Amino acid sequence: MKIDKQKFPDTDGFFGEYGGKFVPETLMYALEELEDTYSKLKDSEDFKKEFYADLSDFVGRPSPLYYADRLTKHYKSGKIWLKREDLNHTGAHKINNTVGQILLAKYMGKKRIIAETGAGQHGVATATVAARLGLECHIYMGAEDVKRQSLNVYRIKLLGAHVHAVDSGTATLKDALNEALRDWVTNVDDTYYIIGSVTGPHPYPMIVRDFNSVVGFELIDQSKALFGRMPDAIIACVGGGSNAMGAFYPFIDKKETRLIGVEAGGNGVSTGEHAAPLNDGSPGVLHGARSYLMQDEVGQVKDTKSVSAGLDYPGVGPEHSWLKDIGRAEYVAINDQEALDAFHTVTKLEGIMPALETAHAFAYLDHLPKDFDESTNIIVNVSGRGDKDINTVAEIDGIKF
Amino acid sequence: MNRLRKKLDHLISIKEKALVAYLVAGDPDLDSTLDLMHLFVKSGVDIIEVGVPFTDPIAEGPIIQKAHDRALKNNISLPNIIKLVEDFRKVDDSTPIILMGYLNTFSFHKELIDKSDQHGVDAVLVVDIPGELSISSYGISNPNIDSISLISPTTSQERIEKIAKNGSGFIYYVTLRGVTGSSNLDVEEINSNIKKIRSYSDIPTLAGFGIKSNEDARLLSEYSDGIIVGSSIVDMITKQSESRNFDRIGEYLRGLKNAIL
Ligand SMILES: Cc1ncc(COP(=O)(O)O)c(C=O)c1O
Repeated sequence: MKIDKQKFPDTDGFFGEYGGKFVPETLMYALEELEDTYSKLKDSEDFKKEFYADLSDFVGRPSPLYYADRLTKHYKSGKIWLKREDLNHTGAHKINNTVGQILLAKYMGKKRIIAETGAGQHGVATATVAARLGLECHIYMGAEDVKRQSLNVYRIKLLGAHVHAVDSGTATLKDALNEALRDWVTNVDDTYYIIGSVTGPHPYPMIVRDFNSVVGFELIDQSKALFGRMPDAIIACVGGGSNAMGAFYPFIDKKETRLIGVEAGGNGVSTGEHAAPLNDGSPGVLHGARSYLMQDEVGQVKDTKSVSAGLDYPGVGPEHSWLKDIGRAEYVAINDQEALDAFHTVTKLEGIMPALETAHAFAYLDHLPKDFDESTNIIVNVSGRGDKDINTVAEIDGIKF
Repeated sequence: MNRLRKKLDHLISIKEKALVAYLVAGDPDLDSTLDLMHLFVKSGVDIIEVGVPFTDPIAEGPIIQKAHDRALKNNISLPNIIKLVEDFRKVDDSTPIILMGYLNTFSFHKELIDKSDQHGVDAVLVVDIPGELSISSYGISNPNIDSISLISPTTSQERIEKIAKNGSGFIYYVTLRGVTGSSNLDVEEINSNIKKIRSYSDIPTLAGFGIKSNEDARLLSEYSDGIIVGSSIVDMITKQSESRNFDRIGEYLRGLKNAIL
C-alpha cells in the first residue's frame, strides 16, 4: 500500500479513525480560528521566512547528526547516529514547536499564552518564546511533576511565567492538560494555548507535527550527506509523541526506513503500571482526540507510572495510533530500570547526558532486531538533555546533595 | 413521546419555566443520590440531570470535579447509574432524566446507553462531542433518547444554525465562557444569542452554567425556557456529605422554582 501522508489529517482532523475535535462547545470557535490562521500562514513566504530564521538564529538549527562511535562499538548491531535535539536552545526538541506556535499567537493578536508541561521542557520552551515577545504566560504543571522537575520550575519562573501546580487527579501531565483546557475555556477570547505535543484536538496534532518535522527533513539531507542513503531505522521515545512524529513524518513514505517509537514501560508492561497506551491500551477519547488510551474496564482513564515525567501520560497523539494500526511504525516499551541504565551508559560512553525520556529510546538499542548488522544505519532521536533529571537520578542512586 | 418532551411541552403550554437540577451519581453515595433525586422532585425540580463521573472532566470547575472524584472512589460507573435510574423509576415514572458526561465513558458503554430508555433514561448530554453532531455519530441511535446539544457564547452564527437544527430535546445554552461554577453572566449577550437560537429551532432553549442565586435564576428565565443549576447544588451536597441532611437543598430549590414562576 502506498501511503499519501499529505492526506492526513482529513478535513475533520482524523488520521483514519483517530483524532478529531472532542471539546466543550466554547472551544470550537477557537479551534476553527486556529485552523483558519494556520492554513493561511503555513505556506506564506513571510511566515516561513520568520519561522526558519528563528529556528536557525534563536534555536540554533540545524542540529547535528552525530556518529556515536563508542555506542556503535558497544552494541555491535549497526552504526548508531544521534540526532542532537539536546543541543537546541533550552535543551530539547520542544522549542521547535513553541517557536512556531508563538508566531501563530502573534499573528492572531493573542495577548496571553498558556501551556501544560510534564517534564517542564515544554514549559521552559513556552516561557522562553513568551518572554521574547513580552507576552503574559501561564504554565500548568502537575503537583507531582513540580516536585520531580523543580529545576525546570525555577527556570520557568526566571523567565517571567507563572507556574500553576495542579493537584487534581493524578497530579501529573494529564491533569495539567485538563487544567490548561479549563483555563482556555474561560479565557478563550485573548488566550493562545500552546499544546506541547502532537495531542489534543485538531488542528494541534497536525500543527505540532509540522513544526517538529524540521527534524525529519534535516535527517533526510544529513543521511544522504553522511552515509549516502536513507537510514534503516529511526528510534524515538513517545510520550505524547511530538519528537517521534517530527522525526517520522518525512519518512512515512520512505519504506526502507523502520520507524520505532519507544513508550514508557514503567514497572513493566505486564504489571499494568506503565505509560504505554500503544502497547497496552485501547482506543478512547481524552483531551479532545480519539486515540489509544490507557483505560480500565468501565472507560475511566488509568493512572500511569513512569520515572520520566515527560512520558508519564495515558494517551498518545492520534497520528501514532494510525501509524500503529496501518503497520507503518512499530511501538515498543522500555521499563524504568532499563531507561536508567541507558542514561548511565550513554553518559559514560558518549559524554552526552540524555533526558530520562530520551534514555528510553537509547535503551531500545539493547533490543535491536536480529537482522541488523554493521551495514545498518540507526538514528536515535536525542530529544533532550538530562540536566533537568539530575535530581531524580541522584535520588534513585541514593545520593543527597 | 418520551418524558422529557412531554414535560417541556406541558410547561410551555402552562407558561412555566423549567427548573433543571444537576447532581453527580454516587456523590456521596448511590443511596444518597436516590434520596436527593426524590427530594429534588418534591422541591419543584422538573428535570434531573445525573452526572456520570469521569476521571478527566474538562468542562467542570473545582466543585463538580471533586464530586466526580468522590463518586469514582465509590466505583460508580454507567452500569450502576442505570441501576440507580431503575430504582428511581420504581417510585417516579414522570420526571425526565438526562445522563450528562463525557464521550469516553458513553462510547465505552454504547450498547447499554442505546437501550437505556428501557431503564428509564430520556436523554443524554455528552459535553465533549461537537454540537452539530449527536450521539448517533458514535453508535448510539435510539430515537427515544434525546441527544442534548450545547451552544456557547463563542459559537459562530453558522454553527448555531447547524446545531439548532440538529438538536433534540432542548438546546442547552451555556451562559458564559468558562467551566461549571464560574460566575460572569452577561445578560445582554445571553438574550441576543438565545434569540438567534430560537430563530433556527422550535425546540426549547434552556440556560445553564453560573446560576447561583434566585436573582440569577429569575433573570435568565426571562430569556429562556428554563434554567439549569449544578455547582451550587453540588456544593451544598458536598457540605452535607457527612451529615447526609439535605433539607437545605430542598429549601434552596423551592426558592429557585419560585423565582422563575
Ligand atoms: C526531552 C523530552 N523528550 C521527550 C518528551 C516527550 O514528549 P513527546 O513524546 O511529545 O516528544 C519530553 C516531554 O516533556 C521531553 O522533555
